[in-house]
Amino acid sequence: MGGSQNRRTGHGRRRWIAAGAALALVAASCGDGENDADPTSGVTQPGGDTTPEATTGGTPGATTPGATTPATEGGDDGGDARDLIIARDMDLTTLDPQRVYCDTCQIYMTAIYETLIGVDPGDITKLVPRLAETYEANADNTEFTFTLKPDATFADGSPVTSADVKFSWERLAGLEGSASYLMSGFSAIETPDEQTVKVTFDAPNSAFMNIVSAPYMGIVNAKMAEANGATADADDSAEQWFLENSAGSGPFMLDSYAEGDQLVLARNDQYWGDPTPFPSVTLKQVKDATTQLQQLQQGDVDIAMQISFDSVGQLEGTEGVTTELVDSFNYVYLALGPGAAGGEDLSEPLVREAIKKALDYEGILDTTVAGNGKLQASPIPNGFEGSEGLPLPEQDVDGAKALLEQAGVDGLSLNATYPTINVYGVDFDTMMAKVQQDLSEIGVELELEPVEIAQWAELVESDGIPVTAVYFAPDHIDASQYVQYFGLIEGSSWLGRSGAEPNPEEQQLFADVLAASGKEKTDLYNQLGQAMIDDLIILPLVNPGLVLASASDITGVRYSACCNLELGGLGIG
Amino acid sequence: MRRLAITPLLLLGIVTIAFIVARLIPADPVAALVGERQLNNDAVVAAAKARWGLDGGIPEQYFTYLGNLVTGDLGTSFRTKQSVASDLWERLPATAELALGAMVVGGAGGIALGITAARHQNRPVDHVSRLVALVGSSLPVFWLGLIMLYVLYARLGWFPGPGRLPSRTDAPPHLTGLYTIDALADGDFGLAWRCLRQLMLPAFVLGWSLMGIVSRLVRAAMLDELHADYVRTARAKGLGEGVVMRSHVLRNALTPVITIMGLSLGVLLTSAVLTETVFSWNGIGSYAVEATKRLDYPAINGVCIIGGVIFLLSSLFADVLYAAVDPKIRYT
Repeated sequence: MGGSQNRRTGHGRRRWIAAGAALALVAASCGDGENDADPTSGVTQPGGDTTPEATTGGTPGATTPGATTPATEGGDDGGDARDLIIARDMDLTTLDPQRVYCDTCQIYMTAIYETLIGVDPGDITKLVPRLAETYEANADNTEFTFTLKPDATFADGSPVTSADVKFSWERLAGLEGSASYLMSGFSAIETPDEQTVKVTFDAPNSAFMNIVSAPYMGIVNAKMAEANGATADADDSAEQWFLENSAGSGPFMLDSYAEGDQLVLARNDQYWGDPTPFPSVTLKQVKDATTQLQQLQQGDVDIAMQISFDSVGQLEGTEGVTTELVDSFNYVYLALGPGAAGGEDLSEPLVREAIKKALDYEGILDTTVAGNGKLQASPIPNGFEGSEGLPLPEQDVDGAKALLEQAGVDGLSLNATYPTINVYGVDFDTMMAKVQQDLSEIGVELELEPVEIAQWAELVESDGIPVTAVYFAPDHIDASQYVQYFGLIEGSSWLGRSGAEPNPEEQQLFADVLAASGKEKTDLYNQLGQAMIDDLIILPLVNPGLVLASASDITGVRYSACCNLELGGLGIG
Repeated sequence: MRRLAITPLLLLGIVTIAFIVARLIPADPVAALVGERQLNNDAVVAAAKARWGLDGGIPEQYFTYLGNLVTGDLGTSFRTKQSVASDLWERLPATAELALGAMVVGGAGGIALGITAARHQNRPVDHVSRLVALVGSSLPVFWLGLIMLYVLYARLGWFPGPGRLPSRTDAPPHLTGLYTIDALADGDFGLAWRCLRQLMLPAFVLGWSLMGIVSRLVRAAMLDELHADYVRTARAKGLGEGVVMRSHVLRNALTPVITIMGLSLGVLLTSAVLTETVFSWNGIGSYAVEATKRLDYPAINGVCIIGGVIFLLSSLFADVLYAAVDPKIRYT
């Protein structure tokens, strides 16, 4: 019997050896996958080329998923041309150009749907022509006239006309989406000829020219969109189509979109402007900042968009990777609600001022973003029109205590419900713990209550919250958005949320600024900034910097106030 | 058969509970739909509510949902703007590939570990095996995943990074949606190998916890069986040790393992929520996380339904397999 066992074992050994040899052969035939240039595998190596054939299944000029067939061989399309890979935690929920409203949407829109006017990358106060050759406003800022460039074309080769502009902007207004407010107050869009667009407002709107540079004001190919169900009202049914197709005039077209995975843009080979060197751009969904960092270090991505401040040090000395810390226009702020349930003591301005003076702003900056940011004076952020010369907040604990004493308040306790989020590198839990610590020094006790942001939104819109914190990123480059959102004026979000009394002075200043131009406009925004400081409702805490991390040979990586990252401006050095 | 018959009722219960629980959350999905900045814009809020069917009462929404469900319509996701059914269908292969990989790691690894431990009871090999099992079932999946990525990908470069495909690589032609299988079916062994390498780390991270459970179970069952009279009889008859192990001990010891493996499919799907997030694996787990964060009611309900169906089917499958392995068991 022992012999039998031995024989079995011997067979077993032979079987294992045979299996091992077979596996080794398969592995050898497969290679390690790192350096293979298998033309059938769909791998595009850096330095290789792709051939995005931007065709559509029956819709000229539109792009459909799978229509692009990236080749894998190195080509002669520019010696260094390669597919660009960007790691980003994307917040896209739609690709419909008149329904989008998010940070990643700004990148998408700028790459695909051009606007009439753009923003100078080096100076956010300077507008530059894009689809429009000329643009002008009348003296009282109620009429805006644009003349389109005659050579501007959509990806299908058809010209961009005034009818496309009218359709795009009327649809933006009519769909009642999140960005529809950009068109609020317009009374008519006239198209006297194919190149001319005239927009009329009932009341002065000096912000409009700046608003036109916002990515959400991008122009869609009206004929193509209408053929696929796009309308300017509730009957619209084009959103599904836009998830798989694009109809813009920008340097890129939509290739494919897999929600939660990646967004692939293919080069618009018919682009009427300066073509991009990249055959395609892939935005990969990578949620975690550390993973983005690792992928950049390993060369798996070319740009990492949300690297944390703590990680920058790890990239120092990494060959082939460039990092830069730049100013941003985003900020995080504390908001006081004198009209909120439990916030009655805050109706006394002295108490609000005491809270403002008690905060250790430099300490908050260090605690949250390791000092990689700036302080901010008013709700109008640094760099925007009207922000110059306003006094930065300073801590004055003794002054704060004196103010509380003057107000007759002793032992104040306030609820501080806030969204438990991490934005722009600022962890709200950490920040609010620091705020709680600062206020405890003047005898104000904060009851911290972190909640999910959807719950926070519900609470702040219903009963209000005595002390809370949230963030803001600009939709466009005009300072009006800050007054409309933070000012104590009619229709402002924080007028309702804070429960504070309206400020007639701000209301008048805002009416004046919408009718003003040039230096007068800047001065009026400056006054509005000071007025919002004096309201003591919005207390900006941190204006964080932004880490731009990319492969060293990628050029043009910069943060844009209007458009986040402009893909059309990227190149290879 | 009785269990099959009550399956629709169980699913109705799952749907109802998911529907109610989602709406008990003290938050309004409209905030996620329009953005917090537009919440005071009545026109925008009204348009969003009307468009997404949130303007009716909760009973009305419930019965509308049930009515649509009967026709196979799981609704449209607030977040992706696509039908929930197609969202789930697109993501199911990713989760299935991960769960299958984890089951291979957990099942095969656990059985091998359990057998080794049992055959070397109270010797160093046994202690090491038990330690491996203990560590696997104790470590949090997300922590283990991040550490694995840091060490094996970022520092050593031995394994590829997160995602189902390597960077700058196209997916194989769609057949099953399981990339490794599809690449093999396409005859692209290079791509199949690369897809398999992408799967290794997440499958190991997810499967290790299962490996711990299975190995302990196999070890205990093996030890029981090894001391049973029939094993002694088999050895006395002169049967080889390998035959005794394969045909007698292991066959009996594996019966409870089948139950665990069947039920573990549901557990793996639950754990996949974290693994998928860490490894940028675009499956149902990461879909569920995002749906919950944004109060995407139709997607939350859809995930609950598919989770319930998978649980029911896997336990049914385990029962059938149980009968196949153990002739003493017969279902009527």
